[in-house]
This record gives sequence, structure tokens and C-alpha cells, in this order.
Amino acid sequence: MNNKRNIIKTIAIIVTFLLMISGCANKSIKGKDTGKAKPDTFIYGIDGDPGNAVNVITTGDRYGLMEIKAVYSPLYMYNGANNIVYFLAESMTPSPDYLSYTAKLRKDVKWQDGQAFTADDVVFTYDQMLKESNGGWARGQLIFDGKPVKVEKIDDYTVKFTLPKISMNAIENLGNIFIMPKHIYEGETDIANSPKNAEPVGTGAYKLKEYKAGEYVKFEKNDNYFLGAPKIANVVFRIIGDANTANLALQSGEIDALAITPADVDKYKNNSKISIIPYDEGRVGYLAFNMTSKKVQNKDLRQGIAYALNRPEIINASYVSEKYSLPAYSFLPRKANFYTEDVDKHDFDTAKAKELLSKASANGIKLKLAYTANNVTQQKQAAVIQQDLKAAGVDVELSGVDGTALYQKLSKGQSDADMYLGGYIMGIDPDTFNSLFVTGDPSNFMHYSNPEVDKLFAQGRVEKDPAKRKSIYEQIQKIIIDDAAFYPITENKRILAIDSDIDGIKDAGLVPIYTFEDMSKLYFK
Amino acid sequence: MLKYIIRRIVQAVPMLIIISIICFTLMQLAPYDAVDVMTTPNMTKQTVALIKAKYGLDKPAYIQYFYWIKGILKGEFGYSIVTHQSIAKDLAARIPATIAVVLPAYITALLIAFILGLISGLKKDKWADKLIDGFCSAGISIPTFWLAMMIIFIFGYKLRLFPILGMHTIGMENSPADFFRHFIMPFTVLTIAFLPELVRYIRSSTISQLSLDYIVVQKAYGANSSQILYNHVLKNVLLPVVTIIGMALPMLVTGAFITETIFGWPGVGPYFVKAIQGFDYPVVMAVMLLSSGLVIIGNLLSDILYCVIDPRIREMR
Repeated sequence: MNNKRNIIKTIAIIVTFLLMISGCANKSIKGKDTGKAKPDTFIYGIDGDPGNAVNVITTGDRYGLMEIKAVYSPLYMYNGANNIVYFLAESMTPSPDYLSYTAKLRKDVKWQDGQAFTADDVVFTYDQMLKESNGGWARGQLIFDGKPVKVEKIDDYTVKFTLPKISMNAIENLGNIFIMPKHIYEGETDIANSPKNAEPVGTGAYKLKEYKAGEYVKFEKNDNYFLGAPKIANVVFRIIGDANTANLALQSGEIDALAITPADVDKYKNNSKISIIPYDEGRVGYLAFNMTSKKVQNKDLRQGIAYALNRPEIINASYVSEKYSLPAYSFLPRKANFYTEDVDKHDFDTAKAKELLSKASANGIKLKLAYTANNVTQQKQAAVIQQDLKAAGVDVELSGVDGTALYQKLSKGQSDADMYLGGYIMGIDPDTFNSLFVTGDPSNFMHYSNPEVDKLFAQGRVEKDPAKRKSIYEQIQKIIIDDAAFYPITENKRILAIDSDIDGIKDAGLVPIYTFEDMSKLYFK
Repeated sequence: MLKYIIRRIVQAVPMLIIISIICFTLMQLAPYDAVDVMTTPNMTKQTVALIKAKYGLDKPAYIQYFYWIKGILKGEFGYSIVTHQSIAKDLAARIPATIAVVLPAYITALLIAFILGLISGLKKDKWADKLIDGFCSAGISIPTFWLAMMIIFIFGYKLRLFPILGMHTIGMENSPADFFRHFIMPFTVLTIAFLPELVRYIRSSTISQLSLDYIVVQKAYGANSSQILYNHVLKNVLLPVVTIIGMALPMLVTGAFITETIFGWPGVGPYFVKAIQGFDYPVVMAVMLLSSGLVIIGNLLSDILYCVIDPRIREMR
């Protein structure tokens, strides 16, 4: 009897406890549909941590650059010969002999701390970018035939760029560089690791408000933005490591935008609240060899591997349909000047692959393929590549790693990977791609070196005659593909899934890397 | 008793030192140099040499070990290779978040386990026991990530009861109600994850107590089962629980890797997982050192507690 009562008592306690939990939950939920405060905050889900130490000289990863785009402004963005969007500059005019370019600056621009923006800031930024010890990402494109561009102040709102030699691509090379405040960074010896990077002061539409490691980067609008105050008060980049969680969070309205994979598009088919916008980034996805690895020095071996790969199958597995991805044959994307498909496409041919591999006496060789672990697309590509190569007699060990870490190791030549998957978004003119292939450039992660290619890139950069430039760059494309250290796989689109309540996307402009060219134009309907 | 406690503490020290040596050796064997964090490919050899000298990296390994230990004792774990941020700072930001979800989940699991375990043990082979034991078998075999995804899908997405992401809604960092709504789902997953093993532990402990001679004696004296339960069994079942609580200490740092990653909870979990993916050795080693240190300290604590509660232990030594 007593015993029974005790049991009932315990059960009663458990039930009360459970009710308590669920009761609390219900109470706090009511009155709110989703967990976010609208409509003054735009939350963009990203799958990496941009960190809070960003600076315009050395930051080069997508999310770091997105952060920079929000906070800083360039003189102008070059999106193609007839598509230049001016920011800090009002115009950029070449001299009649094309040896110098003059930028007229806007006079109404203030730094976010209230100081006036002048030509000094521009000169300072380009000088820092050119300084070798800073390791600036754009240094390569400011060096023409071994000599740097000269940047000088004419007056407070005029800057003159003098080229050592004529370069037909100068207008693109000189653009897309974000301007840093001289009064903040002056005298800083180590820009890459400066504590000032955590509190950036820019001229952009948004100010960095708060960074929480692993959680989010928060921005608030800059009311003094020279192109007009942004329409949305707050922007947040929310870090979400797990792709499934991110998709659910977008569908439940916790975030407003997310870049999704083609495989995820179907999830939004019947969802009127989310718009799917695929757009071209000019991205080339590739398989590359780590040329510091002794195993892959033989050209026959690399060509054999190229023939063993079934490009259409790799694309289908990773991008579902041609709507989101086209096959790539050159290191250039299709929209680039002088793009050609007249190269050895290494079309799938297992017999030829086996023949070349045995010629390279590479039967039974084991290679390690590195890829970015949380990138679903690359996971699938890696799996297909492993299968393809197995059929040709090459054993592939897959190694999923963190993207940032992979490139850091590759850049120092320390990686134990023999091949890796990657992708890049460069410019319009083939000259901007030289940093990927020229011997010794910090962005040449493959450690590829071909004197012929180096020579041709140097020639192409200063060649005035378009016909001759065309033949130079076509030659480069042929040589690089023939060397087979670089196997282009796909030219894929980025698919933005965004809350249908957000408008102004056209004005904001969808561009490579940063997603939006000017976030200040976005607004809630 | 004091003598015993001091002896146990003294015994734990060499263990901690051995673990630190193992961690340091593994880090030395890793194919990267701590100096890589501070240099860029464009630096001259002289600059790199200067930096090495400044941080003592040009000295032999055993001297570097002492530098390293000195840093750790000061709370300085070095820098991440990937992000260049201070590991100590990163951990200080993340450990509280992990504790905030693991500790309540563990305590809740323990309370529920105590009740269920006792019932199950007392009603051995009856329907209640079969039910609870069946739940435990299912609980042990369900992977946490699957459970987490299902709970997110049903309660976060379909029913829209709880927010899916992180610890706070953006802009509501100071609202306890908002925290609570974010907290419920990961908390539930972790509680369910911790529960089965604790239940089984308490169940078997109860059963073994009930089979002891003193129960038979009590029964012979005519005590009824609830008297036996409350006056004798309960106390003796509680005792081994002290041991598992001590063992649970490291879980405060490392207890929720997968769950945290899935929920985007900004704790040690996603940080550690990302460090492993990125071969970020200093971070991995710091977390390893911390959690293995906690294992030893946890054991030490439970030994001491045990000895405080049950004086027979120290007399046996």
C-alpha cells in the first residue's frame, strides 16, 4: 500500500517536472512566430567564420571580404568594360597615351569616425598594398613588367596613377581595391596582425558593431554614407556550420538569406516566402596538383589522371543540372576576355588514361586528395573523382579539411595533399589570373612553374594590340591545360535563397564574392 | 582523512605532468611550426629568425616545454594557426556557453535517472523495469546527431515552437526568456543523451544493494519494503553516484560537441570540431589538455568526496 503510494508520488513528481518544462516553453513562445526582430535587421547565414580581424590589404577569403565590402568602399568596382560602378571616385580617366590614369574623388565622403576622406588615404592604401612585406592580395596586379605603378596626389581630390609601361588591363587592375584610412593605420608596421583590424573604420554603408566568435558579425547603418543612408538599420552575418540547420533556419525565418546548393533548391519549390536567385560569379571550380609533391611531377601521370576523370559525371553529382553549372575547359571563365575552348579538353577516356599512367609507371600509385570538409559540393566531387581514378588504377585517399587551413598550408608548401579541390573568382581580363599561375606568386597555391607561361603573362600584360593579346592568352590557356597540373571542372553559379520580403536586390546588384555590390539599397517590402 | 586527501592530490600531480608532456610531444611531432602562425611567406629569413628567438622557438624542445607550461599556468594557451586568435580568449568565450547547456542537462538527467533507476531496480523484471530498460536500450542506440536533427525538424521547423539557431536571437542577447527558448532543444537532446547510461548505472546499483545480506536481515526483522528503501537502500545507492558525478566533470568542456555543432550553439564543440577539420594543432591540444586535466581532477574530486562520505574507504588504505 505504502509502496504503491510512493510510486504514485514519484510519478507525480516526474509529470509535474515535465509539465513545468513544456509549460515554460509554451508560455514564452506565444505571440511570436519566429525568433527574429523584423523588419530592421537583415540576417545573412554564412558557413564560415570571417573573424573580426579584417583589413583591406591582406584579407582575401569570401566572408572576410564580405565584411570589408560592408565597411569599406573602393574607388570603383570593375565588373566588365561597360560596367564600372563608381564609389569613392567620380571618374577614372586614362591619358591619351594610356600611360597614366587620373582619379577624381568625391568631396562629400567622411570616414566613419568623422574625419574627411582625401587623396592622402588613396595614396596611402596603394602604397601599403605595394609594400612587399605586407603581403597584400592585390600587389601582383599593381606590378607591371616588374615595376610598380606610381601613385601620387595631385590635389586633395585628385590622384594620378602612372604606369611604368602601357597595360591594356590597367583600369581593372587599379580598381576593386578598398581604401583604408591613413589617419588610423599610419605608422602600423604589421597590418596583417594589427589590433586595429578588430575595429575597422571605413567609408562604407555599414559600421562594424559587434563580433562574436563563432556566432555572428553585426553591423549597423552608417547614416553618413555618401551614397545615401542604408534602408535597413542592421545587417548580421550569422555563422552556421551545419548546412541542414542553415536550410531549416532559412525556412523557419530565423535568417533572411543563404547561399544554397543546387541539391537544396527542391526544398524551396513550394515555398512562396523564399526566392531562389541563381547568378553568375565567373567562378571556376577545379582540381589542382600540389606541385611540391614528388609523386605528381610527371606530366604523363597528370594527363593520365585528367583523362580518367569523367567531367559531366562530376558536375551532375555536385550541381544537379546545367542550370547551375557549365563544364569548364580553360582556367578562364566564359565571360573573360580571350576565353577559348580550343584546348585539350581531356575528355573522359579510361583506356588512354591507363596507357598514360603506365607510361608514367604510376600503376598502383596512391594519391591524397584534399577538399573543404563542410563543402557538400566538394564532398560529392571528391567521391566521384575517387571512383573514376580507381577505375584507372589510381588509389585516392580523401582528406576533408578546413578550407582556410588548406590554403594556408598550400601557400607555405607544407601540405601533404597531392591534389586538392578549389575554386576561384577573379576578374574579366585574363591578366588578373596571372597571380594563380606565375612562378612564386603567393596566390600560386599549386606552386606551378612554367617559364613559358611566366613569359607570356608578362607579355600579355603590356601588349597593346588586341589581336596579339588574344593569341598570347590563347597560347597560355593551351599550355596550362596541356601541363595538366590544373584540371578545370566546372563554371558554377551561386544560388542565393532570400526572403521574398526583401526588395531592392536589383539596385543592390548581385556580384561575385560579396553577393551585394551595395547593401544600402536593400529594403523590406 | 586529511592525510589521505593530500596523498591523493600529490598522486594526481605527476599524472597531470605526464599528460602535458604527451600533449607537447604530439604537438612537436605535428608537421607545423608554431612560428608559422606569426610569419607570412613574404618575410625574410632574418625576420623569421628574430621572431623565433623572441618566442624562444630557437631553443631545444625541453626548454620550449617549460615556456609552454609557464604560459599555460598563466592561462595562455598560444595562438590558433588558422585564425591567429588567442586560444585562451576563444576558450574563455566558449566554455561558459558549453557549461550553460551541459550542466543543467546533466543535472536533470541525473535526477530523472535516479528516479527511473530506482523504480527499475526495485521492480526488476516487472513491466515498469522492462519499459525503462527498453527506453535505455533505444536511447543508447540512437545517435545524438540524428535525435538532434529530428527534434529540430519537428519542434523547430514543423511546429515552430522553438528557434533553431544558436544561443540568442540577434538583438536579444540580454533576454533570459529568449535564451530559454533557444536552450530547450539542445538541453532536451543532451538530457536524453545522458540519461540511459545513468539509469542503467543506478538500476544495477539498486539491484546489487537489494541482493545484499542486510536486506534479508531487515526483512527478517519485519521491515516493509518502503522502510528498507528509504532507510537503507537509498543512501547506499547514492554513494556510487558521487563517483560518476566526478567523472562527469570533463563533460563540462567536451560533453556536447555534436549537439552544439548542429544547433549552432557557440560553445567549445563547434570550435573543437573546426579545429580538427583545419588541423589547428594548438587548439586541438589545448582542448585535449584541458579535458584530460579535468578527467584527473574529476577522479580526484570523486575519490575525496567518496572518502568524506564513506569513512571505510580511508580505513582500507
